[in-house]
Amino acid sequence: MKTRNLISGLMGATVLAAGMGWTPVSAADVTITMAAPDWPPTRFMKEHFDATYKSPAGHNTTLDMDFIPWPSFYERVAASLTSGEQKYQMIVTDSQWLGAFVEGGYYLNLTDKINSDPELQAIMQDLHPALVSAYSTYPHRTRAQLEEAGEVPAPGVNYYGFPQFPDTYVTFYRQDIFCDEGEMKAFMDKYGSNLPCSYEDWQDTDWTKWGQIGEFFQRKAGDMLAGETLDDDFYGIAYQAGKGYDFSTMAINAFVWQQGGDIWDESKAPSAQAEGVVNSDVAVAAFDEYLSYLQYMPPVAKTGQMDIFVIQDLYMQGKVGAIIDWVGLGEPVLDPSASKVHDKSAFGPAPGSRKDDGSIDRTGNIGGQPFVLTTWNSDEVVDEALNVVKWWLSPDTQLEAVANGGQSGLMSVMADPGYNDLRPWNRAHVEMIDWQKDVWHIPEFFEMLTQQQEEFDKAITGQISAKEALDAVAEFQQELLEDIDMIE
Amino acid sequence: MADAASTQGGFGAWLLDPKRRGALLVTPALTILFVMNIFPLMWSFGLSFFNYKATSTRVPKFKGLDNYADVLTDEKVWERFQTTAIIVGSSVLLQLIVGFLLALLFAKEFPMRRIVLMLVLTPMMLSFVSVGVFFKLFYEPTFGIVSYVMNFFTTDNFVMLATPAGAIAGIVIADAWMWSPFVMLLVLAGLVSVPKYLYEAAEIDRASKWRSFWTITFPYIKSLLLLAVLFRTIETFKLFDIVYIITEGGPGSSTETIAVYLYRTGFQFFKTSQSSALAYIVLFIVIVLTNLYLYAVNRREAEVS
Repeated sequence: MKTRNLISGLMGATVLAAGMGWTPVSAADVTITMAAPDWPPTRFMKEHFDATYKSPAGHNTTLDMDFIPWPSFYERVAASLTSGEQKYQMIVTDSQWLGAFVEGGYYLNLTDKINSDPELQAIMQDLHPALVSAYSTYPHRTRAQLEEAGEVPAPGVNYYGFPQFPDTYVTFYRQDIFCDEGEMKAFMDKYGSNLPCSYEDWQDTDWTKWGQIGEFFQRKAGDMLAGETLDDDFYGIAYQAGKGYDFSTMAINAFVWQQGGDIWDESKAPSAQAEGVVNSDVAVAAFDEYLSYLQYMPPVAKTGQMDIFVIQDLYMQGKVGAIIDWVGLGEPVLDPSASKVHDKSAFGPAPGSRKDDGSIDRTGNIGGQPFVLTTWNSDEVVDEALNVVKWWLSPDTQLEAVANGGQSGLMSVMADPGYNDLRPWNRAHVEMIDWQKDVWHIPEFFEMLTQQQEEFDKAITGQISAKEALDAVAEFQQELLEDIDMIE
Repeated sequence: MADAASTQGGFGAWLLDPKRRGALLVTPALTILFVMNIFPLMWSFGLSFFNYKATSTRVPKFKGLDNYADVLTDEKVWERFQTTAIIVGSSVLLQLIVGFLLALLFAKEFPMRRIVLMLVLTPMMLSFVSVGVFFKLFYEPTFGIVSYVMNFFTTDNFVMLATPAGAIAGIVIADAWMWSPFVMLLVLAGLVSVPKYLYEAAEIDRASKWRSFWTITFPYIKSLLLLAVLFRTIETFKLFDIVYIITEGGPGSSTETIAVYLYRTGFQFFKTSQSSALAYIVLFIVIVLTNLYLYAVNRREAEVS
């Protein structure tokens, strides 16, 4: 009697559960702890996950974000991984760290998972190839190499990451002064060309004009600017010139690539050389041009501490007319409580180098971050983490993220007719993403970067010339890369 | 008797036997000391003889003293030691001068002395990070207070951190601002311990101010000054936070101290074994300085008694 009651009770519960859409058989509590930099794109991910995520496997899934301040992000993640505490199931990572942490056995190779999952394959095919190249492949494969393969996953390529926030450089500028009739006329009188006011004007802005803008808008306290008397000194332009992390390398690489130079090309190891490439005449001329515009920037440029946050702050305080900065730092600029120029700002593509045919090359160093899975996760956690990836990279979630200050790397989402209207920098982001390349991904990345940043910093602060800096960088890289057999 | 207790009261009684109480009380402290200090020290000492990298899965190979040889023959390391020596020398000297002058000031009674003394002591109660951030903002050339004031006297914008000399001066000033009050406290302790009758006797003998200072005051404070010099030398030798926040070692590598370089080697380049070797060389220097410090302390105690 008791047995019959128990069976009928269980049957009733199962029917009820099925009727309510539950899947009690496979349901489990899954907690995914993710290391994430503390800024709006990851904060939004957490909020939106809590509000909308439903596990396709029926799990009760918690996304536990460990928000870490940007300045200590690398150190905290690296310390956690190398200590063996196995705290994180997913990690938002800079693409450059892939080599160090793949070789260390911490980041999970997802190639087989992508191979066996049509949904993930569809996502990879829809992602912009520049992002797949930079964010996912290790050993690194260039966009050209991936496109040549023609299929995803490409044979012989290992995939690790998916975009959490794909970022690009764009120009932030003060529309109130760039579109001021008096300033426009004065600029035309002085340089014989127009001051860029509209998006289309910025599409036709090269580095030469960028320098002219810098010179034109460099004003002292008491001077006039767009019909008003300045209380403080004012500067026309600013871009990254910081010793910390990669804060000058990112900007200088753009100059070098645009003018036909190159950095050491890891995708051609071991035949690619550093000596003669890194310090080629073209690279030296490009670096010299980068240095030449620093004279028009705020005085902090002379200290080698003009990083992405410093220029963002100077711009928001109304001290600079135009800056080149990451899209990810755009949201605070529009915040009335933080920015004096929230209602005066507009966005355009970053300037580039003009070619002989009149076109502009805007090749730049990609920003943003992918997220990866870690190797100690159980199969259940891996599958659920990949469900989270699919949720994050679904069109609906991506459009919501973009509307809230994020960015998408999915070509189908970027092609959405309403995409450019979601945020004021979207049009520039879509235009810029096609120009993106990435710096190295090998485990020795940080050593190469730190030495390069030091030499760049000496040149930025006027201690040595561009040639001396690049010669020192090339010599160091050649020796280091020969020692680890990356150069033959 | 103890045996009886252990058989009658079981393990608890055996453990609480007065014979074992001392060992029982120090065991937790020793355990923590071993786990948190001694074991990591021994482990990292062992690592310094291998070619271990924390980010690599390769099995480390024994390298003997190679890491020590590499570190000691590395030009960069010696440059960082030189930079450290310049910063330590300048900063400790400045702390001594400012601290000594402040001590002379506070050795005398004046209105609101206690309140002013408390205010002067505030910097050494702040965290290194706070001091670093304060001074980075003070030196900021667009809106920082230092540039704002200096621009009244210069035609160009005053940019403190634009040159190696300026950046070193910036770090030295920040460190001295924070720690001069510490030197002042030590010197003040010496000054107030000088018996007044000695000065009265010197006055009767018509000794000059300088003579009074040199023959009466200085003997009382010289051991304390030596203590201050050694203590501040040891601490400044390890200076990391203020440098990292204000200049990150720049311009170029002109303010990169040995502590910052050690951090980069260990936690940015992940040359774990090499950084361990460098850490032990730094530790050796600190131990030598600490022994000098302890010698000075003992001498002071002998003088007082």
